[in-house]
Amino acid sequence: MAKARALDKRRKSIRNIRKITRTMELIATARFKKAMDRAHAATAYTKRITRLVADLANSGLEVKHPLLEGREQTQRAVLLVLSANRGLCGGYNSNVQRAGFTRFAELQAQVSELSMEISGKRGLAAAKFRGLPISESFTHFEDKPSFQQVEVLANRYLDGYTAGTLDRLDVAYMRFENVSRQFVTVETLLPLGALEGVETQQGATQSQYEFLPSAGSILEEVVPTSFKVKLFKCFLDAAVSEQVARMVAMKAATKSAGDRIRQLSMQYNRARQSQITGEIMEIIGGVEVLKK
Amino acid sequence: MAQLQCIVVTPESTVLDEQVEFVALPLYDGEIGVAPGHSPMIGRLGYGELRLVTSGQSKHYYIDGGFVQVAANVVSVLTKRAMPAAAIDTQVAAEHLTEARGRRANSEELLAARDRLERQARAQLRVAQRAR
Repeated sequence: MAKARALDKRRKSIRNIRKITRTMELIATARFKKAMDRAHAATAYTKRITRLVADLANSGLEVKHPLLEGREQTQRAVLLVLSANRGLCGGYNSNVQRAGFTRFAELQAQVSELSMEISGKRGLAAAKFRGLPISESFTHFEDKPSFQQVEVLANRYLDGYTAGTLDRLDVAYMRFENVSRQFVTVETLLPLGALEGVETQQGATQSQYEFLPSAGSILEEVVPTSFKVKLFKCFLDAAVSEQVARMVAMKAATKSAGDRIRQLSMQYNRARQSQITGEIMEIIGGVEVLKK
Repeated sequence: MAQLQCIVVTPESTVLDEQVEFVALPLYDGEIGVAPGHSPMIGRLGYGELRLVTSGQSKHYYIDGGFVQVAANVVSVLTKRAMPAAAIDTQVAAEHLTEARGRRANSEELLAARDRLERQARAQLRVAQRAR
């Protein structure tokens, strides 16, 4: 009976694991839907900002802002890596970390002062393990990063950039394209480069809009705002991708647990069968002996 | 009667999308009213009260800076934060105000930051009081 019982025990424990992974999959699905809605809402905002910038550019205003222009010499750079607080989401964390740490090594060769900031416990642990210096860490961004939280960070970078203590900001995160496609991106957010919407119809200088107080003043405000929204979008994308990755990983885990259970059930039935056969043989053998 | 469509979006959500008759907005340097047929305009918003009037009834919101774009009877408001005036926590706003006033401001940037926080808190208090 020993072997059959051991198999049954293992089957039970795998069943428990399957229950857990299935629950985690369901939770990830629910969170993913919520995160997705938020990402959509942010897109509505960015679209309008882009339209506004296009209208500004059409008014014949020269789009110029300190945040849009790079420095002659990049000396101080910050690399922000967005990882998750929790594991069990497939290759999500390791992919982001690999890309982030590779960029870290590249930047280290280029700039004199480089600091790395990490969001998420997983990334922190990995950086500590590799002995990389961490200047700042955040673990309060869960699956619903709020704009206010991100704005605090954004303001710090903006202040640093205008004060000259920061020349470049790179962000490593998992970009979300659709449910089946997410990829690791390392983006340079500061300097901003060009604003989206600027390149449309440069010729048309006649604008229908009246600017209050003036186009220049609005531009002054638009540029930092679009930086903040861009950074916020990175956080949202990271959150959505994390949930997708977890969903996929847990689905796979549930499936392989099911396969394992089926396999063990078969083994268990065979072991039980052969045990019964053995017992019958013993009885028959005994009877045969008594007959003689 | 012609109506305006008023859309308020924040980075987190679309707060409001309604047909209204009149909108009053807090611009950077004073209030502006927008009625149907307003000429196209882009404006920079300050901190203050957004008022929507529909058939004599008015609704009050607090908005936190941003931009407004008016074109073809559509008023789109882009702001960092928007909330109904009734949802403002006056106690928290008052605390923010005292905190902001107690800040040290020994450089130009710090002074600007303090001014901004102060204006924000004052505007919240004002909107909350008017709504009551």
